[in-house]
Amino acid sequence: MKHIVTYCAILMLALAACRKDDKSVFDQPADARINQALSQYQQVLTAAPNGWEARITTGTGSIFNFHFKFNDANRVVTYADIDTITASTPRESSYRLKALQQPSLIFDTYTYLHMLADPDGAVNGGDYGSGLQSDFEFAIDTVTADSIHLTGRFNKTAVTLYKATPEQEAAWQNGAWRRTLDFQYLGSILQYFKRLSWGSNAYDISINNDQHTITFIWVDSGGNLQRVTAAFYYTSQGLFLPTPFTNGGVTISSITSTGWNPGTRTLSIKINGGTSGTIAGAAKPAQVDLDAPRRWWDYAAQQQNGYWISVNGFHVNGVDDAYHVRSIPNFYFMLFWPAYGRQSNITYDLLGYVTVQGNSLSLDFGAATLPPTFTADGRVIFQLFGTLGDVPPEAAGAFANTNTQMTEARGFYLVQTSATTYDMVSAKDALAWITWEY
Amino acid sequence: MKYILLTGAFLLCLLTACKKDDDLGDIDNIPGLGGDSWTPGPIDNWISDSLTVPYNIAVKYKWDQGELDFNRTLVPPKEEKVIPTLSAVKKVWISNYVAEAGDVFMKRLCPKFFVLVGSASYNPDGTITLGTAEGGRRIVLYTLNDFRIKGMDGYTPSDSSNVKMMFHTIEHEFGHILHQNVLYTPDFKRISVGRYTSNWNNVPDETAHQDGFISAYAMSAPDEDFVEMISIMLTEGKGGFDNLVNSITGTSPNGTTADQAKDKLRQKETIVVDYFKDTWNIDFYSLQARTRASIVALIK
Repeated sequence: MKHIVTYCAILMLALAACRKDDKSVFDQPADARINQALSQYQQVLTAAPNGWEARITTGTGSIFNFHFKFNDANRVVTYADIDTITASTPRESSYRLKALQQPSLIFDTYTYLHMLADPDGAVNGGDYGSGLQSDFEFAIDTVTADSIHLTGRFNKTAVTLYKATPEQEAAWQNGAWRRTLDFQYLGSILQYFKRLSWGSNAYDISINNDQHTITFIWVDSGGNLQRVTAAFYYTSQGLFLPTPFTNGGVTISSITSTGWNPGTRTLSIKINGGTSGTIAGAAKPAQVDLDAPRRWWDYAAQQQNGYWISVNGFHVNGVDDAYHVRSIPNFYFMLFWPAYGRQSNITYDLLGYVTVQGNSLSLDFGAATLPPTFTADGRVIFQLFGTLGDVPPEAAGAFANTNTQMTEARGFYLVQTSATTYDMVSAKDALAWITWEY
Repeated sequence: MKYILLTGAFLLCLLTACKKDDDLGDIDNIPGLGGDSWTPGPIDNWISDSLTVPYNIAVKYKWDQGELDFNRTLVPPKEEKVIPTLSAVKKVWISNYVAEAGDVFMKRLCPKFFVLVGSASYNPDGTITLGTAEGGRRIVLYTLNDFRIKGMDGYTPSDSSNVKMMFHTIEHEFGHILHQNVLYTPDFKRISVGRYTSNWNNVPDETAHQDGFISAYAMSAPDEDFVEMISIMLTEGKGGFDNLVNSITGTSPNGTTADQAKDKLRQKETIVVDYFKDTWNIDFYSLQARTRASIVALIK
């Protein structure tokens, strides 16, 4: 009995193994099909008379718009809303379709698209080594006559190309896109505070044009500082927030530029396409965080040997490190040390300069300041008490200028930018500020 | 016995039943076989006329992930940088070797394949790679998008360091090819014996000089030491090298005095010069003068 079962099993195996029906489920071999797919994609790409519109969300969450026009000689002309040049100057580069693991579209020489993926942080404001985590080599997922879905092969960026209308192409060529990038001029406002105001509303904002994010800063009714950062994207009409910003009765889903005035450095805008307003520099915050100076001072004072450091010194009138503290020989950082020491019954603070001596850090000189005055309207005022240590002659200029700025009679506002960083902004005109990190 | 025979017969049946004559299909038209193709443009023609035909050098300037590290973020070069870079390479590197050692030498030994990349390659340890070479055949050049020479838009004197760095890379890698063909005398390895370290990237160049190395990277291995000597002596010229040696002062953390360091560098220089003369019949100082002059022409 056992043998019969075994024989049956073997017989079945032998018979089944003889079935030679290995017809492919496809009517053509893989090579022929991939060639067919590639030539069909090529045909679709070049068939759009006005090119293609694309919106890319990078791995860092920033959103950018592109316009591509492909021809059948492996060339592609690109516009992008990265900056005023990319939005107005077409750039030609090459592309090709290639059978990798999937049919792929490769932008194989540098164009605006590569600026997002560039690992050089100086190009796109991303991290060195990874950039904004974007792609220029895409697997082609689906192709229809008027849209193409792509997935980046390196960072998995999802991109959809839509066939552009003549109006969409014209918006790039006639400068409509270029005008929406007026927002980039906001960087030339010299004041620390950039005030977005319309009707009776006012917010301090900061726009990061590399990453396409906008930050709204205000103080709520309970006196707490609020910061909300939202991603935005440009359209040829202006700046849009995919997730609208809301605060009480205020909702912002778009800001449209209606013109930049280089004389007053003011950007005229419309909120949500309706109410007119402006973005301009301001000498004081829209709403002052009254408690911030005290919070800042206490934070370091409550730690044992706690102090705030600044690696760049004061930024004044658009110039980083205006007093050249970084040029002090072996300069490492500046520090502000609350309640550093005690003399003549006065507990003084220290504005010190740390240098590298040999293989270690050394605090050799600094300015002592009296206990600061915290005003009711949210400012802090410093007064000089004396000089500690010997100021080397090479540092004399930086030392004196920094002291003058530090003891400015109107004092400073403090703006908390994260749990352990504050910007200290001159209350006189907001043209000078210094960043403190813990 | 009977069972064994029977089983054997079935087994035979089973095995032969599996023989299938599969049709391979149309194999004349496999996509991508034989490399990528595209409509040739001015850049392709220039490369073909200036490098491929005379020296059998292929240049890949269009993006091909397969030629590069899969774990690095890189971008392809800007098209407007390709011809200026390659013609500078030709002027500074190929033409000078041809003038000193002849066409045949260069055709035989030059790396046959260049891959161009627009950005630098950022390493996890915070350093960046500017060039690599493999097997004496393939050289990858990075940071093409930062390449600017005198007369180009936006050229500033600080760009000269990029240009020098690139030729430093090429001469460095070509040095590897030379010593991989004929090794230098073992005496070279004895000059700085015991001072080679994998920790070279934490050593400033000045400290490396004090230890008798021409650069910090030269401390990584004797082979690197040898080709760093070649490349820096060529790109800086005799005057630059003499300045570097003569400006060494102080004692290194390892206890090498300035005089010992200078002596080590001079010994290495002698071995390099003799190696070029004896092995390749090249007058190194003449090659050095030519190379430096062509670099100076690009940056000053």
